[in-house]
Amino acid sequence: MAAPETEESLAPLPARAGRFDPRAKLVVYLLGCGLILATLPLLELIPLAGAALLGIVLGRHGTAWWRVMRLLWPTFLLFAIVVGLAGGPEAAAGAVLRLLALVTASVLLFATTPPEELGDALLASGLSPRLAFLLEGTLRFTPAMADLAREVREAQESRGIRLDGFYLLRNSPALVTPLLASVMRFADDLAEALEIRGFGGPHRTPLMEYRFRTRDWGLVAIAALATVFWGSGLPLGLFWN
Amino acid sequence: MSEALIDCQGLSYRYPAAGAPTLRELDFRIDAGAFVLLAGASGSGKSTLCRLLNGLIPHLHGGEVSGVLTVAGADPRLTPPRRMSRAVGLLLQRPDAQCLATTVVRDLAFGPAGQGLDRPTIARRVRETADWLDIAHLLDRAPHTLSCGEQQRVALAGILAMEPRLLVLDEPFAFLDAAGAGRLRELLRRLRAAGVTLIVAEHRLREVADMASRMLVLHQGRLAADGSPRQILSGPVAAWGLEAPGIMPPPPPAPSALPGEPVLEWDGVWCERAGRSVLRGASLTSAAGEIVALLGANGAGKTTLLRHGNGLLRCQRGVVRVLGRTVGRRPVAELAREVGLVMQQPARMLFASSVRAELAAGPRALNRHDPAWCARLSERFGLDPLLDRPPQTLSAGEQRRVAIAAVLASRPRALLLDEPTAGQDTGARAALSALLAECAAEGVAITVATHDPFWAYSFCRRWAILAEGRIAADVDPAAVLARYEHPHQAGWPAWAVAA
Repeated sequence: MAAPETEESLAPLPARAGRFDPRAKLVVYLLGCGLILATLPLLELIPLAGAALLGIVLGRHGTAWWRVMRLLWPTFLLFAIVVGLAGGPEAAAGAVLRLLALVTASVLLFATTPPEELGDALLASGLSPRLAFLLEGTLRFTPAMADLAREVREAQESRGIRLDGFYLLRNSPALVTPLLASVMRFADDLAEALEIRGFGGPHRTPLMEYRFRTRDWGLVAIAALATVFWGSGLPLGLFWN
Repeated sequence: MSEALIDCQGLSYRYPAAGAPTLRELDFRIDAGAFVLLAGASGSGKSTLCRLLNGLIPHLHGGEVSGVLTVAGADPRLTPPRRMSRAVGLLLQRPDAQCLATTVVRDLAFGPAGQGLDRPTIARRVRETADWLDIAHLLDRAPHTLSCGEQQRVALAGILAMEPRLLVLDEPFAFLDAAGAGRLRELLRRLRAAGVTLIVAEHRLREVADMASRMLVLHQGRLAADGSPRQILSGPVAAWGLEAPGIMPPPPPAPSALPGEPVLEWDGVWCERAGRSVLRGASLTSAAGEIVALLGANGAGKTTLLRHGNGLLRCQRGVVRVLGRTVGRRPVAELAREVGLVMQQPARMLFASSVRAELAAGPRALNRHDPAWCARLSERFGLDPLLDRPPQTLSAGEQRRVAIAAVLASRPRALLLDEPTAGQDTGARAALSALLAECAAEGVAITVATHDPFWAYSFCRRWAILAEGRIAADVDPAAVLARYEHPHQAGWPAWAVAA
């Protein structure tokens, strides 16, 4: 028979970090991403990106957002050049704005929801332990990959091999080859560590209990209504006309 | 008679696509409650045997296993590692690679949660293990923010929370300083007293030999010796690539010439990272032709100091000078002409399609490629047979030699090495010290950050001891060791205090 769960019996297991259930936040995030991807006109993308940025400001996640943007700006630039060459400046601006809104929404989700909590919540909903870890691990180990890339870059610069600006294109093998080797090594180590800790069984216990409460349903309902409202084109029609 | 926990008869193993078997005809039995030291040179098969015991081999790595192997009543070849993990815990060499969660408490709970235990039981195991290993104060911390010793205790706790009967540790002392090693030794004593069967594969025999009840020596995949550590270590062990503990290496010969001009100077360097003062006015000078061992506990700031030397980190206060010129904001790639840095993980530096191309890459980028010099380095570092091989396919020891040669190929005046002997056996350490001595004789100023004072003693005549963010002592090692009746037993903090 399972032991009774009390606050004392569960210490020191972690308590839930945010006010809302991670699954509710995930639904809102997915609706937001769907809206950003489905919105084509540049003028309609501006308020969406603005809303995501407002969330960053209100939640005081500016440092995390800036860290990600500093890492991604070359991608933004490359994206703008490619789309701009193919479809002109307006298309480039739209593409960059869409990417900015998506990245900002993602930062907002993961700054407020630890990946493990999200994985745990999905596990509690019946997702298989392997799939839950796949999702959680993808989110959690992305920063580790960024650290690996930084280490490789520093190692090459220490040998005089520059990897900034134009040099990145010319010397890309110096970054890519060791990075790939390091990532493969990382994956090997991770696989071993998982096996050693008994990962892969059919049952895995979530470390906390997840229950969808009224406020979670409320958040999802508001997000769904807002999506339908925005999708109808009514607010923008009122504003721009 | 004690119950045999491990029964191994005629066990052989060959990795996939490997020509020769890595393990050959091993025969031994290990009783429950034993403490076994598994010794042997690099490549002798220690790690392979560790992975066989919990089924990582062949389930994850494949290959051909023959003979009989029974561990805790199960055949690891037929039992998946996740089921073997209930009886067999395995601690791998790099503790940072074994932390699976974003907080220590989640990491400790990972194994029991995977066993499907209920939450109160998981909580109890986490609580008890954390108390037992004295890491309760770390439960809310992120594992990657911990020191190496702390990470290792966390990784060990994560395994012990699954309550294994057999604990296998693969080179657990490789990345630990003397204080961390002392704590681990104490833990091993307590585990043994608690009835856990222990197998410790280790190069640093002095850390374990006095505690183990039995010693197995692997040599080229075969069981070369099986007996008590005292009996085996009193015999000729050098042929197996081992070094008897307690024997101090001879000090290096006095240099034939005085050190030359200062090449690299750290002058009152301060560095604060993540709210912690790592360096607090550290000052050190490295002169041409001199080898300085930079010693200190894990987390003392050795790597941080080295990274200031080649501009990867910039001084918040203080100054770094190279050949008398302030580093300031000079780009790292420009400083590489004068200062070479070999990082702890050399594989991160290697990218070319062959060792030959790797040696040429740095000098070409700096427009100072000299094929004759590269050829000399290749010969000196024993790389001639490897010149056409891709560096990423070489062993860890070979990669390290390539990385050092690749940095020296640009003819830097100063060479910085970060923990170059971690996980290396006696032979590799001796070969590396000989190579560095040759480089110093040619006028290169060498600074080596290491937590291996025995290796440092064998070839460095100057020790700089980093403690509490500054160079607490800059002395001849003999002067430090002379203060101790039994220098090999001197713990690291004692040296720092004495200095």
